[in-house]
Amino acid sequence: MAMAALRREGRRFAPMISPRPITALRSSPLAPSLEDECPIGVRYISTQVVRNRMKSVKNIQKITKAMKMVAASKLRAIQTKAENSRGLWQPFTALLGDLPSANVKKNVVVTISSDKGLCGGINSTSVKISKGLHKLNSGPEKETKYVILGEKAKAQLVRDSKKDIELIITELQKNPLNYTQVSVLADEILKNVEYDALRIVFNKFHSVVSFVPTVSTVLSPEIVEREAESGGKLGDLDSYEVEGGETKGEILQNLAEFQFSCVMFNAVLENACSEQGARMSAMDSSSRNAGDMLDRLTLTYNRTRQASITTELIEIISGASALEG
Amino acid sequence: MTLNLCVLTPNRILWDSEVKEIILSTNSRKIGVFSNHAPIAATIDIGILRIRLNDQWLTMALMGGFAKIDNNEITILVNDAEKGSDIDPQEAHQALEIAEANLRKAEGKRQTIEANLALRQARTRVEAINAIS
Repeated sequence: MAMAALRREGRRFAPMISPRPITALRSSPLAPSLEDECPIGVRYISTQVVRNRMKSVKNIQKITKAMKMVAASKLRAIQTKAENSRGLWQPFTALLGDLPSANVKKNVVVTISSDKGLCGGINSTSVKISKGLHKLNSGPEKETKYVILGEKAKAQLVRDSKKDIELIITELQKNPLNYTQVSVLADEILKNVEYDALRIVFNKFHSVVSFVPTVSTVLSPEIVEREAESGGKLGDLDSYEVEGGETKGEILQNLAEFQFSCVMFNAVLENACSEQGARMSAMDSSSRNAGDMLDRLTLTYNRTRQASITTELIEIISGASALEG
Repeated sequence: MTLNLCVLTPNRILWDSEVKEIILSTNSRKIGVFSNHAPIAATIDIGILRIRLNDQWLTMALMGGFAKIDNNEITILVNDAEKGSDIDPQEAHQALEIAEANLRKAEGKRQTIEANLALRQARTRVEAINAIS
């Protein structure tokens, strides 16, 4: 908002100074801040004011540049981890399939978001998709609950879906992400929430400029059995002989829990990468905007300076010619 | 017929190439897998995985997980794994002693269970080093 007002002021001073400097005061009702700083009777904006503006914009530019570099280095660190964890959930999908269209009674939407802001639109897209899933899966027999990871989604979802929220977890990235931490988290979720299907919403990291919101579905063992009977990918599950000393049901249960924690681990890492990437591009465009603004302010400053010099010269010369003539 | 083995942990891919035979310890017993094995989904306990490549045996310590054997492709997903050659003998023996001491000191159900788990992991790592030599 302040930046837009500044832009308007910069443009307004150009026509004001050249033809009729006397109308300067009357034609600036929308620039209250600058009016306050100029004493009445001054016919142009003082160079001091413009210089202050330039200093503050330059500081902002430096800060956003630094933030971009910090985000870039954090991204490098976490990107290798995310790529290594990608191989882990693929065998699960190969064995059990990913069925987003499974029709179940109790859906749980796990929304993964960031804790800090200034990262572009990724959190809003995650929340939009979660809300969409909620709408899609609410009806006479079905219900949807939320599990929220991260401050930003919490802020947005607490406003209108407070009664549907089961669990909120924040400050995930206080310590560097590792599998043990995430598996404990997954354990907590599985213990406290009844579910038939878990839908994890996160931003998948494709490249530094592209983050795609994705939904991964993990089904509970009973639903897996049900879908296996109806054939398709899961129908092949029965062709596997099961080893391990326990009943098939128990093994499927263990498998589902392991699958959930692996998929969560990957989702959390990918979302962290997307967050850093989005922050990089947001800070980059912010520094570029600050640079443009600085250029415009420099032009204004030079015009102001030259106008004041011209006015002084005119006064001196007309005074001298009046004395002579 | 070539058998392809893939060992994955959450942090990295530990092994992804062809082998001749493996010996896997599941929760109930040890199974040996050659090429053209029947499809199996198995749970793996904390134990040793032996890999044979052309008359040479390698050991790996696995910390529990799942295995899927299907169509000459073996996929093993575990919480953590270490190659026998990567484990430092000194450090592994020390870890074993610390784990045994902790077990003796443990009070209460939860600490005993954790100490037992740590002990089994330490023992597996020591076994993995001994098995190659």
